[in-house]
Amino acid sequence: MLKGWAVAIGSAALGLSILAAGDAQAKVEGDTVYLGAAVSLTGKYTTAGEHTQRGYDLAVKTINDAGGITVGGNTYRLEVIYYDDESTPARGAQLAERLINQDGVDFMLGPYSSGLTKAIAPVTEQYGVPMVEANGASLQLFNKGYRYLFAVLSTTEQYLASAVALAAEIAEREGRDPATLKLAGAFENDPFSQDIRAGVIADAEKFGIQVVIDDQLPPELNDMAATLAKTKAVKPDILVVSGHSKGAALAVRQVEEMRVDVPMLAITHCDSADVIGKFGAASEYTLCASQWAPTLSYQDDVFGSAADYAATFEAEYGYAPPYQAAESSAAVIVFADAFERAGGFGKDAVRDALAATEMQTFYGNIRFDETGKNIAKPMVLYQIQDGAYVVVAPTKWAASEVRHPTPPWSER
Amino acid sequence: MSGHRQPLLMLAVAAVGVALPFVIPDYRAQIAMLWALVIMAQTWDITGGQTGYNSFGNILFFGVGMYASVVVQRDVGLDFFPGLVLGMVVGAGIAAALAVLLGSMILRMRGHYFAIATLGLGIAAGEIAGGWDYLGAGSGLSPPLFPAPPGTANLFFAYLYFGVAALVFVALAALYRTRFGLALNAIRDNEDKAEAMGLHTGVYKVTAWTMAAFVLGLVGGAMGNMLGFVDPRDTAFAGATFGVWMVLMAILGGKGTLWGPVLGAVIFHITQELLWTHLLGWQRVALGVIIVGIVVFFPQGILGWARTRWPARHEHQGHGSERA
Repeated sequence: MLKGWAVAIGSAALGLSILAAGDAQAKVEGDTVYLGAAVSLTGKYTTAGEHTQRGYDLAVKTINDAGGITVGGNTYRLEVIYYDDESTPARGAQLAERLINQDGVDFMLGPYSSGLTKAIAPVTEQYGVPMVEANGASLQLFNKGYRYLFAVLSTTEQYLASAVALAAEIAEREGRDPATLKLAGAFENDPFSQDIRAGVIADAEKFGIQVVIDDQLPPELNDMAATLAKTKAVKPDILVVSGHSKGAALAVRQVEEMRVDVPMLAITHCDSADVIGKFGAASEYTLCASQWAPTLSYQDDVFGSAADYAATFEAEYGYAPPYQAAESSAAVIVFADAFERAGGFGKDAVRDALAATEMQTFYGNIRFDETGKNIAKPMVLYQIQDGAYVVVAPTKWAASEVRHPTPPWSER
Repeated sequence: MSGHRQPLLMLAVAAVGVALPFVIPDYRAQIAMLWALVIMAQTWDITGGQTGYNSFGNILFFGVGMYASVVVQRDVGLDFFPGLVLGMVVGAGIAAALAVLLGSMILRMRGHYFAIATLGLGIAAGEIAGGWDYLGAGSGLSPPLFPAPPGTANLFFAYLYFGVAALVFVALAALYRTRFGLALNAIRDNEDKAEAMGLHTGVYKVTAWTMAAFVLGLVGGAMGNMLGFVDPRDTAFAGATFGVWMVLMAILGGKGTLWGPVLGAVIFHITQELLWTHLLGWQRVALGVIIVGIVVFFPQGILGWARTRWPARHEHQGHGSERA
């Protein structure tokens, strides 16, 4: 029996060593620069995780097709090594270790969601591996003193601030004191949505808006009838819902099913949940926080304008790019730019080049503050009008007037 | 295996455990996780295998340890290592206290009833932690960064977990030889008879579960720091991952045996790591197929199967550590 055991243990050790033998220092191999990414291909963030991966892939492909990047006189191609983090932070942290230690990756692209980013950032920070992330918006990521974390997207507190401000603005225009407005909110109990909640509550306080419902949605997110029943009873002026793609789809579906009349419904993640495609007319009037819109007038050398990006993406994948894909592509562009400016692939040189980034991409302007968050790009607010996403705020980008109030279901 | 060979085998495993982080230094994170999984399987087997009480709620103790440890580190204001040690001990203490409290209530239930009662524990704890602002609620908690050069954290956790796993193994090997171990087996084999013979079965069951809880509290306490982020459902009270795995690993290796959980954890972890690399996005499906295969073809686990296959080698049981 001892023999048997020795064989078992021996083969286990051998198995691990074989894994180890396959280990390559893959950061820059020949003319290829490897970026590592753990993305959610399974689990609750599957939809958004796929958008993230496609965003990365499209940018890598476009950059490579155009001849790659030029660093120190040589040209290099980009390649991404992916793992599936299964939408859980425990996996994410382990995979980051794996990418850095076993795969030898020196540069990381972010995962999807604030929770995953929170789990991965300590690892990349520990190893001094620069990470450009595009899908971790929680403000708490940027008060930890991380030096190697850079985020191209706007942080959570800005997501629905424009919706609250818009409601206040409309009230004032109608000669009504914003302090008489009532707000109902339902937020998933996860790092991202709870941050959104904090931002919305703070904005409501700023305008003196009364928060009449403040509900937590479970991560399973199959039903929010309880919140909507209360909403029907207290008749708030604004209903705010945030719960990633599943939360967006759920809100639009159940507001219609239960015939909840509310003058303003503001949510996040409409485009990644494809609420227009799924619910059609029922999604009309919904306000959606967005990091980006194809109608914005930004541009860069890789994709051209925001509209060009949208066209390229749609040609490749057959659907319009949600902002999760756009910002993921932007992260790759930012990395490529930093490599070229750093003139080499030293982790600290690239980190410093990232910190000094000042550029425009199709996705927006990118400039990082000392905490690593992008302070050069505002959020936009879409409204679904006649089956399309139309930017209605901020005024500078607005393509159309906001349609307000939402008529009651009996008149729709 | 007979008694005199056991020390040799333990020595061999110990040598592997000590050498491994330096033989394959790039895999330290996985090695640390491997030993942590071994401990989870070992502790699950105390009640699940030896006593015949299948708990699906042991993840509760793991999560409690994780939260307690990180909260202590956050609020007590000690340096990293004293804070971590204190946090682990506090976490283990709370976990053990919870086991006494809950155990004295639900360990009176038997069979499926007990299993179902425990199923709710981890879920309830996850909900509570997810709604409790002091614990960061749904936003979770971030432990302090490990205060040493990159890579050393994994080395530290690899040896920490290896040390705990080895201690637990030796302790269980000794324990299962005592009257206490026999009493647990007696409860598993026929609880009514055991009671009729004068065993205070309730005390034995609660004690067994409390031991498991204490060790799991320690494991969880260090795990929060190793993973770098405490989320109520996905890392702390992660019933769908760690919670199920600990049961699975023990069953895979052979429950109610000393080596079974260790073997099960090693095989499970290596399989999982391989699937992860080579089957992007399909690793869970593959794992599911393997689990079904195990349950169908090795219902007694690998050691149980080996015993049926080669009964001669298992004729002379030196002690009561293995299933009859």
